[in-house]
Amino acid sequence: MMTTLAWSNVRTNPAAYAATFTTILLAVTLVGSSGLLIAGVSDGGELEAVGALVGTSAVISAFVSVFVVSGMLSLHVMRQRRAWGLLRSVGLTPRQVRLLVTVEALVVAAAASAVGCALAVPYAHGVAAVLRRVGFAPTDIPVAITPVPFIVASAVGMVATLAASRIAARKAVRSGPLEVLRDSAAEQRILPWPRALVGTAALAGGVVLLDLASRQTEGGGAMEIILGAVMALCVAASALGTVVVRALGYLLAAPVAWLDPAAGMLARASLATQPRRAASVASPVMLTVALMGTFVFAAATTQTAAGQATMEVGEWIAPALVGSTALYTVISVLNATAMSMSARAQELRLLRSVGIGPAQLTRALVWESLITVAVGALLGTAIAAAGLLTLGRVLTGRLWFDYSAPQYLGLLAVCTAAGLIGALVSTRKARRGPLVG
Amino acid sequence: MIMNDPDDYAVHLQDVSRTYGKGPTEVAALRHVTVGFPRGSFTAVMGPSGSGKSTLLQCASGLDRPQTGSVRIAGRDITRLREKELAELRRDHVGVVFQSFNLVPSLTAAQNTVLPTRLARRRPDPARVRDLLQRVGLAGRERHRPAQLSGGQQQRVAIARALLSRPEVLFADEPTGALDRGTGHEVLALLREAADTYGQTVVMVTHDPEAATYADGVLFLTDGRIVDSLRRPSVDQIAARLGGSR
Repeated sequence: MMTTLAWSNVRTNPAAYAATFTTILLAVTLVGSSGLLIAGVSDGGELEAVGALVGTSAVISAFVSVFVVSGMLSLHVMRQRRAWGLLRSVGLTPRQVRLLVTVEALVVAAAASAVGCALAVPYAHGVAAVLRRVGFAPTDIPVAITPVPFIVASAVGMVATLAASRIAARKAVRSGPLEVLRDSAAEQRILPWPRALVGTAALAGGVVLLDLASRQTEGGGAMEIILGAVMALCVAASALGTVVVRALGYLLAAPVAWLDPAAGMLARASLATQPRRAASVASPVMLTVALMGTFVFAAATTQTAAGQATMEVGEWIAPALVGSTALYTVISVLNATAMSMSARAQELRLLRSVGIGPAQLTRALVWESLITVAVGALLGTAIAAAGLLTLGRVLTGRLWFDYSAPQYLGLLAVCTAAGLIGALVSTRKARRGPLVG
Repeated sequence: MIMNDPDDYAVHLQDVSRTYGKGPTEVAALRHVTVGFPRGSFTAVMGPSGSGKSTLLQCASGLDRPQTGSVRIAGRDITRLREKELAELRRDHVGVVFQSFNLVPSLTAAQNTVLPTRLARRRPDPARVRDLLQRVGLAGRERHRPAQLSGGQQQRVAIARALLSRPEVLFADEPTGALDRGTGHEVLALLREAADTYGQTVVMVTHDPEAATYADGVLFLTDGRIVDSLRRPSVDQIAARLGGSR
């Protein structure tokens, strides 16, 4: 019975499960391949420099994975709450709902982990080949197939998935069938106290780390601490995201509502009443901009401070490795947008049945996505700038950093494109398909 | 009253057929239906479930496209309109009230009421909106969101929305289906008023004989065909026809 129910949930909601599946799969691939490379270079010797780099990239990919997977799952849970409430109202006990949620999560996570582990091997070979080809690694990096990286990677996938779904199940059970079924558009508490606590702690941690980094005497040591600070600030921004998104979204939406009243009003109302949904899209944007911004422009800043004209291999390989992680965060921008938009088919059909025109509807969705991406980009830029200013200060004693406007704009363009594609593709059927039947 | 020209009606369906699915699972929801709804009339559409009454409403209101036949609203064949023209028709000439999910969840009651007006790039008159919401019994709830309103209150916001721009035709699909008796009667009285006071044409699908007594006439559907009609019906007459059509 439980497996039938779980399967029918997956079948009626394939896009959402596909998005969650991909997210976990890519996380496991990233973490697993980093682990394989670490295992490969751990013999020391000539490969020690590579080891440090691979270690940094592993830390970042593990961080990004947990961050993105948990964000994705909370979005998934928001979507599924109705289904769970419905099951409770037809007589499933809280225990049965918990079991169902756990079984569902386990099946998705186990399948995604298995595929992710399988993909980690060729991916690790690819990265090793690139490091060798560009001359960064003096010898071939042996990709040792040992069980530990697979176990760690699968554990990251499974534990993140299970923990998130347990919390979700508890919420679904506690809230009771009727409360869940009443589609509460206005989310009640936009900042529950555990989130506020985590966010404040991470914010304080980030500030302390930045302060610590600014007291360093050489760039390399400072950069490691700055990286920690950037990650802490990302956690803070994400935890406090609903409040920030609501405030910033409101500000950014005001000129839009003036320019394009009807579509702007819809975008603005949606952001104001569903800040959590918007925050889950803004979060991966923020992460992409913060991480890529920090790494790419840290290399440029170091280089300019040292008076170098051209970059050495070692300086651009780090941004390149982080870039592959950023590709993952960009995919998750697409995933998150698609997932949050596909839940709104009913609302979009209603808008059409009261007379919204096709172009108006598209504009409303585009505005909403643009504002959400802009909020994420603003947060990410602020975080990266804080890290880079600290680095510049350590290197030159001035609050300064070097950047390239075209690269920055390129980064924003990629995030914006991901958000828009996710929003428009996932709503295509609701925007253009039949209204009934 | 004898009317032969389809344009004498607010809504006119000519030989409309609509089937769902294909091949062996094909279901004919409407079979060659021809019917006109006179201006300012209030018509109830009744029939057993699966008789095609909701499909009739969806085709008549332009929410669905029939495979054959034509549907005219305000003198235009809406089956030939493009999506953009349909949107203009929906916000200017047609009001819809569904059984549930009538309102955009992120908008307040007042914002939902003025939505079609705003979509048409017109400025709604705030005093008139307030007055209208007061008349449907929602004074002081202008700023409430749908989640903070009961089912009956949401229904009445939808009716206020349908009344605000005074569209020629108002379609309601089981508008009282989810309501208690008292609230249901209030909603029906509002629909009656739309026809009597403002000359709007009201077409309502219902399975409740008591609700149908608010209408000027009742159409009975069975298997996608109009099989019977009554004028100024009583509950007993309706119940008798419904019993006979089963």
